Amino acid sequence: MVDTHKFPSKQPDKSQGESTLQPGSVLQGRYRITGVIGVGGMGSVYQARDLRFPNVVRYVAVKEMLNLSTDQSIREMTLKTFERESDMLASLSHPAVPKIYEYFPSKTRAYLVMEYINGRDLEMIINSSTDFLPVDTVLRWALDLCDVLGYLHSQEPEPIIFRDVKPSNIMVDEHGQIRLVDFGIAKIFQEGQKGTMIGTEGYSAPEQYRGEASPASDVYGIGATLHHLLTRRDPRLEPPFTFHERPIRDVNPAVPPEFEAIVMKALEFKPEDRYPNAAVMKQALEQLAHPVAPSFSLKISPTREEEGTTWVGAEIKPLWVFECEDEIRSSPTFYRGVIYVGAHDNNLYAINANDGSFRWKYPAEGRIVSTPAIAEEENLVVFGSMDNLFYAVDLRVGQLQWTVRTQGPVLSSSRIVHGHAFFGSDDGHLYAVRLATGRVQWKFASGGAIRSRPLVSGELIVFGMDAGDVIATDLSGRMVWRFRAKRGVSSSPLEQDGLVVFGSMDWQVYALDIVRGWKVWEFRTSKPVVSSPAYGDGKIYIGSVDGSLYALDLASGKERWRFETEGQITSSPAYVNGAVYFGGVDGYVYSVDAKNGRLRWKFKTGGPVPGSPAVVDGVVYIGSMDHSLYALKA
Amino acid sequence: MKFMRRILGHSKDSGPTGDVEIVHDAGRVASPPPEPVVEGPPQDEARRAAVAELQERAAMLDSGAFVGTRPLPPLETIVPRPGERMRFGQLSDPGMVRSNNQDAIFGMVVSSTTDDDLPDMGLFVVADGMGGHKEGERASAVTVKLVAEHIVDHILKPLLDNRLSEPDRMPLADVLRVAVQDANDAVNEKIPEGGTTVTATVILGDLAYVAHVGDSRAYMITDEGIEQITRDHSLVQRLIELDQLTAQEAAEHPQRNVLYRAIGQSENLDVDVITRRLPPRGQLLLCSDGLWNMVAEETIEGVARRHSDPQLACQELVDLANDRGGPDNISVILVQMPG
Repeated sequence: MVDTHKFPSKQPDKSQGESTLQPGSVLQGRYRITGVIGVGGMGSVYQARDLRFPNVVRYVAVKEMLNLSTDQSIREMTLKTFERESDMLASLSHPAVPKIYEYFPSKTRAYLVMEYINGRDLEMIINSSTDFLPVDTVLRWALDLCDVLGYLHSQEPEPIIFRDVKPSNIMVDEHGQIRLVDFGIAKIFQEGQKGTMIGTEGYSAPEQYRGEASPASDVYGIGATLHHLLTRRDPRLEPPFTFHERPIRDVNPAVPPEFEAIVMKALEFKPEDRYPNAAVMKQALEQLAHPVAPSFSLKISPTREEEGTTWVGAEIKPLWVFECEDEIRSSPTFYRGVIYVGAHDNNLYAINANDGSFRWKYPAEGRIVSTPAIAEEENLVVFGSMDNLFYAVDLRVGQLQWTVRTQGPVLSSSRIVHGHAFFGSDDGHLYAVRLATGRVQWKFASGGAIRSRPLVSGELIVFGMDAGDVIATDLSGRMVWRFRAKRGVSSSPLEQDGLVVFGSMDWQVYALDIVRGWKVWEFRTSKPVVSSPAYGDGKIYIGSVDGSLYALDLASGKERWRFETEGQITSSPAYVNGAVYFGGVDGYVYSVDAKNGRLRWKFKTGGPVPGSPAVVDGVVYIGSMDHSLYALKA
Repeated sequence: MKFMRRILGHSKDSGPTGDVEIVHDAGRVASPPPEPVVEGPPQDEARRAAVAELQERAAMLDSGAFVGTRPLPPLETIVPRPGERMRFGQLSDPGMVRSNNQDAIFGMVVSSTTDDDLPDMGLFVVADGMGGHKEGERASAVTVKLVAEHIVDHILKPLLDNRLSEPDRMPLADVLRVAVQDANDAVNEKIPEGGTTVTATVILGDLAYVAHVGDSRAYMITDEGIEQITRDHSLVQRLIELDQLTAQEAAEHPQRNVLYRAIGQSENLDVDVITRRLPPRGQLLLCSDGLWNMVAEETIEGVARRHSDPQLACQELVDLANDRGGPDNISVILVQMPG
């Protein structure tokens, strides 16, 4: 179809523009065409010899622009604009701006005769190089480019805006000097493209697509050109306006952070966040080229902490702190104004959530690392202990109601559904216990220690094993499917939208079809994943021992953002109202914006925070290995 | 009660089966439990507190302040009645202006009844080609056929061999991604001047896997309404997402047809693959821009809901686009889930 074409944009499209002047033909009795420099949809650029200098070979560039509109008034207007722009160009005087010798319009086309530049454009230079261009060369070009554009931007009464800064419009001449070519005059002649095309301009500022252009738009074009030069990543092959998703130093570490920072500022989405014009950008680059301090100082670029507006460590004061006799590695549970939490001192504590005052404690015979669960109907708080027992305690007074003895430590937290508690034991069984009586309804022999909290979804129970198996049984304890990770799964599975998601010691986060157990996607972190996932705002949040908290799109498994801490993350995050809360082995409790992973605040405890928070009514409750349970304002 | 019966299903009457083992009441087996240590409020005070708490209960239940163990709403999975299966209709039309059809579509449903309870599988592909000299038609045709072939080889065949649960298998989402990337390699090699969009869906049981490049679309139609589940890889869509354009301005933007990602663009193609659960009676609609440019979402939703025969719905949608001028090729596939 005529109006639907692929748009490779780099190659001259023969079907659209033919060179109308043949070599040897003479224009105005003065310019003999010697070759074609370029062919475009709107006309061609020729190399020609100026016959007024018969004794020397003097080349000029002749730019031909077709004026093909069928409407006569439009044709005339186009011509007027062309003359005005040509006059404007002729009045410029800058070594990087090609000299204009003359122009002459005819009926269907217009010609502009200008200085012939012997050299290559930056696009040719990028394409012909096999490695990164030397950073100091790019910096020198950047300064030259800012110089000439700064000159244009300083024109009176109105700044001249180039509008189309990109590598193919920038040449390096035989002396190594930057020259601007193609002053966009051709655009006057350009009509809107029709039909679906692949490929965007890639270098234009977002506001230009609304028809707005300012010197800051050219600054964006400089930034886009420098980004391409430094990273060798062609922006026309990437989604538009995604430079910030491709940090320069991730691709090319040889670029100093300060240089990267200047380029990224030029690429800011909003014009007011960029350098207002090329001259100001040049000043920033000059600082880089001639630093006050000797050489490129590899100062650390601004960290997220400095960007964050709400974080001031000293200002975060806990609402209260409750001291246990030993480390808290498990996670608290909130129920009706009371916090229940197990500690390494063997006690299960009941603490008033409003002021952190003590209600009761119940001593097990071993450490408690599982998260207590509440059986609402039966008024029970249930939890497992390292002493092989599973306890049910009256949540009002802390009186023991019953226990279930297993043959191994109970590290698994329990799930309360349908009047039953489901939990695993190191003895290799999954237990289903009737809450009213403490009677074991059934147990499922899985063949290995179960430390994850079982997921009950519909008619399925899903749990992970230290051997790496993830098993789904029905409510009667019959196996439905089995999935095998390469290492243990102590992360507790989460169900969302038909997918079951969990982490594994094999470094992966998996998403399976919950009905069949088939692998839908996997995401690899850089260390084991013991943290359990949380869900909110379309994303899965999960920590890794590699120190990062990951936000993964549930539907695609793609990383949306990651937040790096100074230590491992074994804590399972909590998602509440657009924020994610979790602890770090580096001793901090973190709150991160779920949208973009920016730090909201962090709070330093006296020890690692391997457990997970409970977040209720604007308060974060979380234990630390410094023996304390903290209540923090969310 | 249903749940209770299932949990209690294996009573002593039926005897333990498989891995299930009935054990004695734990209370009797366990050693005498340690007595609780109650510190702080004395017993009677605690009891009074407990009574007070009970009285507060109604109010507290409303507060929703209960974290950690509340059961999730049960997953409503598709349990079709015997003989019910997913149905689909499909139609591709050159429209009112163009003489040729650069769109290509593909659809199939595989349904079986065997003792290993294989889920039904659906495979649907829409591609909208671009490029002169028949290159667009060729690109879309090659793409739908190669994607279908790859999925038959790497999903349908393993499904029939019961190999989909093998632990070392490539994740299903990646199978779709590779299928589209292979098609991209073929188009780049054989049809250098052609390009195409592609939106391909595999339905396995009640999960829909959608691989997508370009500006054809997939919509999900459920009781909650119609939702576009793919994202157009177009310049104007990016500008909308960045608050630089309104949808209205985008519809009139001179560069509204510029895609930044499509098959045939470059060697390394980034493919969106998403997985969504289709609820019982949910519908999935794939279409080229010839439909969505001409027919509003609400109209599409209404037509899809009104027809019990998806083929008639497809026909009406194509007719609607043609009534409004049909400037582009129009392709629709509509899938209805059982339940």
